Formats: sequence, structure tokens, C-alpha cells
Amino acid sequence: MTNDMERFRACADAYGADARRWPEADRALHARCAVTAEGAAILAAAARTDGFLDAWVPEPAAPALAGRIAEAVLDEQPRRRRVAAWSAAAFAASAVFGFAVGFMQAPADPGADLVTLFIVGPAAAPGIGL
Amino acid sequence: MADGSEEDHEIMAAVARGDTGAFRRLVDRHAGWGVGFVERMLGGRADAEDLVQTAFLRVWQGAAAWEPAARFRTWFYRVLYNLCMDHFRANAMPTEEVDEELPDGRPDGEATFAAAQRADRVRAAIAGLPARQRAAIVLCYYQELSQADAAATLGVSEGALESLLSRGRAALKKSMQRELH
Repeated sequence: MTNDMERFRACADAYGADARRWPEADRALHARCAVTAEGAAILAAAARTDGFLDAWVPEPAAPALAGRIAEAVLDEQPRRRRVAAWSAAAFAASAVFGFAVGFMQAPADPGADLVTLFIVGPAAAPGIGL
Repeated sequence: MADGSEEDHEIMAAVARGDTGAFRRLVDRHAGWGVGFVERMLGGRADAEDLVQTAFLRVWQGAAAWEPAARFRTWFYRVLYNLCMDHFRANAMPTEEVDEELPDGRPDGEATFAAAQRADRVRAAIAGLPARQRAAIVLCYYQELSQADAAATLGVSEGALESLLSRGRAALKKSMQRELH
């Protein structure tokens, strides 16, 4: 019984007075010890801590909350995709613009390497221009 | 399965295909308890709603990679718990102030005020616990998770969970005793 009472006390200290919160394997112990004077005193002490915890009951979530969260997430995703698409387009446009500017500003050099010209642009082959 | 986990798996499969209606259903099923859990972890409603929204954004973005190895609810608890821990790491522990505003004009105003003060004391006492003890108490006491699910959420053994609970409740008991003296 001593070992039982030790385990009973450990469970009450951890899980409180209500047997429904105890591990399933210890619920029979709860039933056995709760009816003893020592067990009842242990449960009464645990119930005081339970009562303290029960004093905090958060407001239930507003019925509209779930809808608000879902819409916020679904709005966020397309917005991110749009930003990514615009970023890619802006990058491509600036690359084309840079290539064109470099192409037009470079002095003529008919002897330059055409492969370098088309891969990197005229800035890498300063002798080439139109 | 009577706990709705099978339906959650079906919904997640639809969410993985980009079904926005399924995503709305999923949020509808889990936002309420999610906010309740996170509010008790963080001690405030506004942060809790923001964090739950972040969690659902991750669900939406990662649905295609989700594998139904566990119940959705258990897995989502873990996501929320990890976000709470990130929040604690990124911010100093919040110090909750007691709302001094009285609910005027109601016959039970005084009783309501006293109850609000009691609730604030509990919230402050729980906020003062180390994060894992707090999480153990919120999961097992308030959310009524089984020992196995709570331990899985925290990533600890059931024995370690019991130890966290005992230490947490002992600290709360001290807070209560300080109040009485």
C-alpha cells in the first residue's frame, strides 16, 4: 500500500485530482486510494491547484476567426506569387536593358569573338559595336 | 476513426491539391482550439491569433509534403508548440499587465472584476513558469491531451512529461500560497 500511495501522490502532484487526466494505467489506483483518509487529503490538495488553474478561462474564439485566418492565408499566397512573378519579370527586363545599353555603347571592333559577344554582351568584348 | 482524424487526412489530401475550400474547412475545424492552446502558452489573444495564422500558412504551403504518419491534430499541436518556442526565443517573456478597466453598468460588475483578477493571477503564474513546464500543463490540464500525445508534442518521454507537470504544479502551488499570505 505504501508504494501504491507513493504512486498515487506522484500522480496527484502531476495530473491533479481528476482521474480522467491520469494515465489509464493508474486510474484503478485512483479509485482504490481516493477512499482512504490519506488519499482524500492528497486529492483535496491537488484539487486546490486545479481550482486555481480553472480560474483562467480564455474567451472562446470568435466564430468569424477561422474565416478570417483562412482568407488571410489564401490572400497572402497569391500576393507572394505575384511579387515573385514581378521580381522575375523586372530582373529579365533589366538584363535585356543592360545588354542593349552595353551593346549600343561599345566601340566597333570587327575582330572580336562573336561567341563572347552573344553570351556576355559587348561590355565583355569592348572592341565590338554596331 | 471517431475523432475525425480520417476526415482530416482526406481534407489534407485535398489541400495538397490546392483545394481552397478544403483549406477553409481545415481552418474551421482547428483554428478554435489552436488559438486556445496558443493563448495559454503566450498569455495573450492577439499574438495567439497571429501565430495560428502563421501555422496555417505553413500548412497551406507545405501540404503537398505532408505525410499522414500521425493524426493531423497531433502534428498541428507540434507545429504550434514549435512556433511558441520560436516566439519565446525571439521575444523577452511577456509581462502581462492586469486590465484595470471595470465592466461598468452591470449588476455583477464586482464579481466579474474579481473573476478577471483571479484569471489574470493564474495567467501571470503560468507565464512565470519555464516554457516546457508551462507547455506540459497547458497540454495535459487545459487541452486534456493524453500523456502519449502531450509527450510527443514536447518531444519527451512520458516519464519526463510527468516530471515537468509535477514541477510546474509545485511552482503554481507556491504562487497560490504567496497570494494567500
